[in-house]
Amino acid sequence: MNLQKSGLNKFDKPEVKTFKNLKTFIIGIALLASHHTMLAQSKVKSTDEDAQGEITTALITHSSDGIFSSTASFTFEVKNTYRKVETGKVSYLVTDQRNKKITSDSVMVKIGARGSDSYRFSVPKLATGFYKINFMINVNDYDDTTKRDFGIRPSEITSSYPRPTDFDSFWQTAKDELAKVKPEYKITEKPELEKLNRRVYQVEMKSLGNIIIRGWLTEPATKSKNKKFPVLLGLPGYQVTIAPIMGEDDDLAIFTVDTRGQGLSKDVIDTRRDDFIVYNLEDKNKYVMRGVIMDCIRSIDFIFSRPELRHDNILVSGGSMGGFLTIATAGLDKRVTICSAQNPIMSDIYNLEGEVEWPLNTIKKFVKVKPGLTYKKVLDNLQYYDCKNFATTIKCSTLVGIGLLDPYVPPNNAFVVYNNIPAKKKIMVFKNLAHEVDVKYKQYEALWMNDTFALF
Amino acid sequence: MTLKKPSSKFIVIAALLIVFSSKIAFGGGFPLRPGRLIISSSVSYFFANSKWDTAGYKVAFPNNGKFSSYSYALYAEYGISRRFSLVASVPYLVNTYSETNYLSVNSGVGDLETGIRYYIGNINFRSYFTIQATVISPLYTNLNLGYGLTGGEIKLSYGGGGHLFGCNSYYVIENAVRQYFGSSGPLQYRYNASYGLSLDKKFRNQISVAFSGFYSTSNNKQFNILNPINNKDFAFNQLSASYGHAFGKNLSLILTGGHFITGRNTGDGLTASGALIYRIDYR
Repeated sequence: MNLQKSGLNKFDKPEVKTFKNLKTFIIGIALLASHHTMLAQSKVKSTDEDAQGEITTALITHSSDGIFSSTASFTFEVKNTYRKVETGKVSYLVTDQRNKKITSDSVMVKIGARGSDSYRFSVPKLATGFYKINFMINVNDYDDTTKRDFGIRPSEITSSYPRPTDFDSFWQTAKDELAKVKPEYKITEKPELEKLNRRVYQVEMKSLGNIIIRGWLTEPATKSKNKKFPVLLGLPGYQVTIAPIMGEDDDLAIFTVDTRGQGLSKDVIDTRRDDFIVYNLEDKNKYVMRGVIMDCIRSIDFIFSRPELRHDNILVSGGSMGGFLTIATAGLDKRVTICSAQNPIMSDIYNLEGEVEWPLNTIKKFVKVKPGLTYKKVLDNLQYYDCKNFATTIKCSTLVGIGLLDPYVPPNNAFVVYNNIPAKKKIMVFKNLAHEVDVKYKQYEALWMNDTFALF
Repeated sequence: MTLKKPSSKFIVIAALLIVFSSKIAFGGGFPLRPGRLIISSSVSYFFANSKWDTAGYKVAFPNNGKFSSYSYALYAEYGISRRFSLVASVPYLVNTYSETNYLSVNSGVGDLETGIRYYIGNINFRSYFTIQATVISPLYTNLNLGYGLTGGEIKLSYGGGGHLFGCNSYYVIENAVRQYFGSSGPLQYRYNASYGLSLDKKFRNQISVAFSGFYSTSNNKQFNILNPINNKDFAFNQLSASYGHAFGKNLSLILTGGHFITGRNTGDGLTASGALIYRIDYR
């Protein structure tokens, strides 16, 4: 019996797992997953001195970011504290991102009583791309699987699906439509929310289709009339309500926006959480993300309307859907100075099939209830909303962060986006993280912004 | 399938920068933001009643001799772009030498130094390289106030920030080569390594230690007892410690004390200084 652990560790360290008297627990679970039963079993076993102990394992990937130029290598460490020899097998299975077997290997092991051993594995001759690797240990008193991802020469990854030929004109049309909508900016100071010497304003404006969107602008309080602040435009994640961002900083204005259908901007579009991603997806000209992306462009318009904000120092940043919107905004609007996208969803959409559940399962459900609509038609529509296609026109310096274990943004897909960016760029890969980035990313992002905007 | 809660949490956090992380610490060698003017008014005191001779042995000044120097200096630095900043400084000196039945006082404006600093680059935005070119112009004719020679200097600086014991820290390493022009104009090599700790998260209080030195060569090997700091062929190393306090975002005071630890053909000096630093942002 294999006990599988996800291995989605938050910290970039070898994973160490411990199960005491594991087989005792397995027996208990197999008979009846009863707490009392397990306790009883454990007590019975605890009288057996040979059964007292544990097996701990640690997997070391011989690359700080899980990326190799040719041969991938790992060390699997096993520690046995039982008072008896543990025998069995340590093996690995390499699959592609769609779980198709690529290669495997195993080694018979004999770990002495209260002993330890380590086993080095090399996985050679792999083609460019990302792979899943499962390390299994099966010995007398312990069975376990540790999962990791790794990449081979990801800078060579490309998508086999081209950009729609009318991609640029499609979005130019959208921007032209947006330009015809008078923004009618309303900015209202909210003194009751102000703290840490920071002013808070609620911002309201009209965007594509005359839909009203709202956001929060916070600025350092200053007596200087000439002071102009660089701006962070924070773009929202999926169905998140944005709050004003506070904090002690003398230099930076922060504008966060609830795009349509999110947070404070649900006057017209107010869907169930799951339905938002497929709202009007049957028509690429009416799909909700067309308006959402234009809301981001309108947010740049707003920044340009403010005399106290620097129009040449705009950082656009966001994670997940915010990462997608960041890439889209930077690709469509050359007024963005630098951008930072973390775990951008909707990346290389055709190639998500077989790799992720969300949002494809939601899309498939949507297709089922729409007569005449096909899954292919929807995926074709989504080509106009694919991160990789926005990335090709980014002109500003770009920072991208990904987790190799991301269930929504597989690393293959993320690298397609990254490799499509023609501008100066940097990617930070976190081998043990899923749909998140490490705090190191945020620290780097802040330092990078401070340097770029000369906020020494 | 829905996006799970942890993702939502991430999304909120991920939308933000750690924008409130500290900026790099102040110190010589760091680039200066455009539009920022830093003005420093300082007073420095140097005292010596003995010297290191040419062999590096300590020798008392003859006849109970004592040398002291007060320097009142103005320093200004202005960021003109992300890469460039202008620097200028001018001191007013009062040099006094006394021994039994003898007193000599010389005072006046010293050397004007004007320069331009260029931000070369950085390592992961945590440490910075700058280079500075400076012209030294004497504003006096009394040679007891300085060499009276025009000079030029190139200074390479490396500075960065980090953490130690939970405190923000910074370090600066500077190396400069200065050449005074003229028949006996010395060629000088200056070096400085300093390390500072901020004692609180708001950078209100800082302490630092520094090791610095001077190596000057010239065909003029004389020891000028009326002004030991005006020798041309000498060397010394100094240890110093500083305390800095910020009275607000724009005003801070730095107090420094130091002592020469080795020397050759120079006074055995004790130094102390206080600097009031004011910054104004014009952008």
